[in-house]
Amino acid sequence: MFENKNTGLLLVLPAAVFASVLFLLPVGILLSEAFTGSEGGFSLGAYVEFFSSELNNTVFWRSLRLGLWVMLTSAVIGYAAAFSIVQLSPKSRGRVFALIILPLMISPVARTYAWLVILGRTGLVNQVIVGLGLSEEGLQLLFTETAVFIGLLQLFLPLMIIALISSMENMPRDVVPAARVLGANWFSVFFRVILPLTREGLVVGGTLVFAGSMTAYITPAILGGSKVLMLETLLYQRVTVANDYAAASVIAMILVVMSIVTNLLLKRLAKPRNRRA
Amino acid sequence: MKPSSTATGTIIGLTLVFLIGPFIVIILAALTAGNNLAFPPDGLSLKWFIKVFTVESFRISFLISMFLAVFGTLTALIVGVPAAYAIARYDIPGAGAIQLAVSSPLIVPGIIVGLALLRYLVIPTGFTIMAALFLAHAALILPYAVRVVTSSLQNLRVDVEEAALILGCSRLGSFFRVVFPNIRGGILAAFILGFVTSFNQVPVSLFLSGPGVRTLPIDMLAYMETTYDPSVAALACLLAIMSVGIVFLAERFLGFSRYV
Amino acid sequence: MKTGRYAAAAAIGALCAAPAMAADKTLTISVYAFAQDEFKELVYDPFEEICDCELVVETGNSVERMSKIEANKENPVIDMAVMSVHDALALSRKGLLQKIDTSKLSNYGDLFDIAKDPLGNGEAVGYTVYATSIVYRADKVDIQSWADLLDPELAGYVSLPDITTNQGPGTLWMIGKAIGDDDLSLEAPMKLVGEKADDIATFYLRSSQLAQLVQQEEVWAAPVGRFAWSRFRDNGLDMKWAEPEEGQFGDMNVMIMPTGIPAENAELALQFMDFWLSHDIQLALAEALIDSPVNDTVEVSAEAAEGLTVGADLIDSLVFMDPGVILDNRDAWLETWNSTVVR
Repeated sequence: MFENKNTGLLLVLPAAVFASVLFLLPVGILLSEAFTGSEGGFSLGAYVEFFSSELNNTVFWRSLRLGLWVMLTSAVIGYAAAFSIVQLSPKSRGRVFALIILPLMISPVARTYAWLVILGRTGLVNQVIVGLGLSEEGLQLLFTETAVFIGLLQLFLPLMIIALISSMENMPRDVVPAARVLGANWFSVFFRVILPLTREGLVVGGTLVFAGSMTAYITPAILGGSKVLMLETLLYQRVTVANDYAAASVIAMILVVMSIVTNLLLKRLAKPRNRRA
Repeated sequence: MKPSSTATGTIIGLTLVFLIGPFIVIILAALTAGNNLAFPPDGLSLKWFIKVFTVESFRISFLISMFLAVFGTLTALIVGVPAAYAIARYDIPGAGAIQLAVSSPLIVPGIIVGLALLRYLVIPTGFTIMAALFLAHAALILPYAVRVVTSSLQNLRVDVEEAALILGCSRLGSFFRVVFPNIRGGILAAFILGFVTSFNQVPVSLFLSGPGVRTLPIDMLAYMETTYDPSVAALACLLAIMSVGIVFLAERFLGFSRYV
Repeated sequence: MKTGRYAAAAAIGALCAAPAMAADKTLTISVYAFAQDEFKELVYDPFEEICDCELVVETGNSVERMSKIEANKENPVIDMAVMSVHDALALSRKGLLQKIDTSKLSNYGDLFDIAKDPLGNGEAVGYTVYATSIVYRADKVDIQSWADLLDPELAGYVSLPDITTNQGPGTLWMIGKAIGDDDLSLEAPMKLVGEKADDIATFYLRSSQLAQLVQQEEVWAAPVGRFAWSRFRDNGLDMKWAEPEEGQFGDMNVMIMPTGIPAENAELALQFMDFWLSHDIQLALAEALIDSPVNDTVEVSAEAAEGLTVGADLIDSLVFMDPGVILDNRDAWLETWNSTVVR
């Protein structure tokens, strides 16, 4: 560490100013807009009004529910996948890892677009369903919550797997075999050995997946449409159709608070175990 | 005592099918000789890949996205590298608050940033949409630039720099002669990460579009709504190949994943 | 290596800036996203040649572009826009439209009377009149009435326009007529649509999007404006244009100019409007089966007339909704819609 604090401050100043002026200031004004009453002064009117609408409530709970489902599902698949990948030889592990992060480099528009082809009435999934005789005609999969769920899961699962792999790699090598030798079944190995040792990864992955799903735009816009609105598509609609900035400001606040709260909450959950380790 | 390799193999296989399968579907669908996006494709042809290059709005929005990704990332690095250096090397008062400010773009959803800039920068001041897009993209990349460069600075031992100082280098001279060559890989990695992030960015640009100014992903969304031909699928493939190619080369020659 | 990269970057930057500098005069227009390839060929490119100016085009649906003009009222970016009559009226009531100097429109005298002054204050000129009815897959269903849209036979395969689109209120009104309640509160039809919400594949926002859904076989029937008919007719499926018992409803699209734009842009905007209203362009757009003409001198070929909304008889038979009524009720409809339909 160098001692001259002024030089340090000077170096960091441009970045801090840049972020403050371009991010914190405009976003701050936007968020404060919903707290201002029609005659100025502090008011919660916009919030009361927002939550008095049935549609807004539905959208809020739907976003929360889908966010949680995507997070839980990606945790289950993520653990299975990460644990399997860690067993591989270093060489094939690298290859599989590269394939897992590959989707992250590809435009989310492209990633969501693929599901239009797969989930459509005449798409791949329906070809299989009809082919197997499970249904006479294709099912409606597009513009449903299921479609949005699948799209979000594919979008965010890699983040969970990466987070879990990196924390499993830090896990002492012999703990799982040791627990097995001592007679633990896979169930208790998972809950008593793996889970505690990988909590941090779960927290990081879970935060990214939940916050990402809650604040997704493209997936609900393409796969959900106007019947399956989520918070961001609702925000977009309120602004573009009605110039309704009060609602936009309320939604913005919900989204920001959600991001921060999940971050803090999960960090807190992670802490006690980490201290002991 | 290991889990059976059949079981792990199956799990990995299924996961990869779920994650990668859609791309294979879309690549094949884009290669169709028919006029509609369908899987399996209706004959094979490259006509939709050729069509992509004839759509004028794609050409313009591609250049706009390129411009934003390159110059936005460069700007983020120019602002971010000194900050990363300060965070790694100096004991700054209020460092926590500064780091929070710099990383705030990661917490605030992009759509809100775009809306806020439109409403409080573009509309009242008459700032052009293009300028707002540029600043928004630069600010969005800033946290990545700072984080990646900070971590590569932390891997560089301070005593190398101290040696240079003792041997008579100025502080600035030691930065350019000793520090910079050693973190060049980190900076390039930050550039690539920033480029890919900016190029694929949708939410920030959603509200920041005006007559004649649209980023490529936004233009693709608009095109998809009006036309159900496979050219968007073809374009998506081309972009995927570009992104993957860049990252592959970076990994090959730089060991990209060390930095990210 | 390094200089190479900067040079490449600078080149991209220069390329980016180039289109904006190509012509010194620019006219920024705001139009529907529909049939833009054809518009470019038939209208924009020929006009650019005449005016020695550059056209910058923004696309989107009527209400979105109307909101954008309102949001940008301090620094207007759009010189000329086309939209629905009621969205134009909304801007007019807020004082955001300027009077159109019709003495500068050489084709003004040739227009149908209904197109000459749709707002009654000289702030808009109609450029196309169109009917809205239902397009459907004749191999799957038969549509005789607006109520057939909610028939169980179509469950999961029908799409309705969102309430915020131009076709939204009209569709609900016609459904209301079909079930014997044509009250303009639209409560009865909305209640019915709400009960059947699960059967509606999606509420579409743009007719361009709908064309795609039908092509994809996601949707078999939906209300749509006549301007879009050719996109359905030629999609390779067995498509029909319904002639429901309750009739078809009519709508008009108008041209407007926002207040606060520079005088030379206003001049250019008028020139562009006049060009669009001229015999040749109206005919070309009609023959391409895009917009039905409002210029009385245009005689459409029999073949094209099949796909359009032409002829005094047909136009007289259409049911028009008063734009003022639409505007006065819009907020209430949206509220009812949100609480009974999309919940």
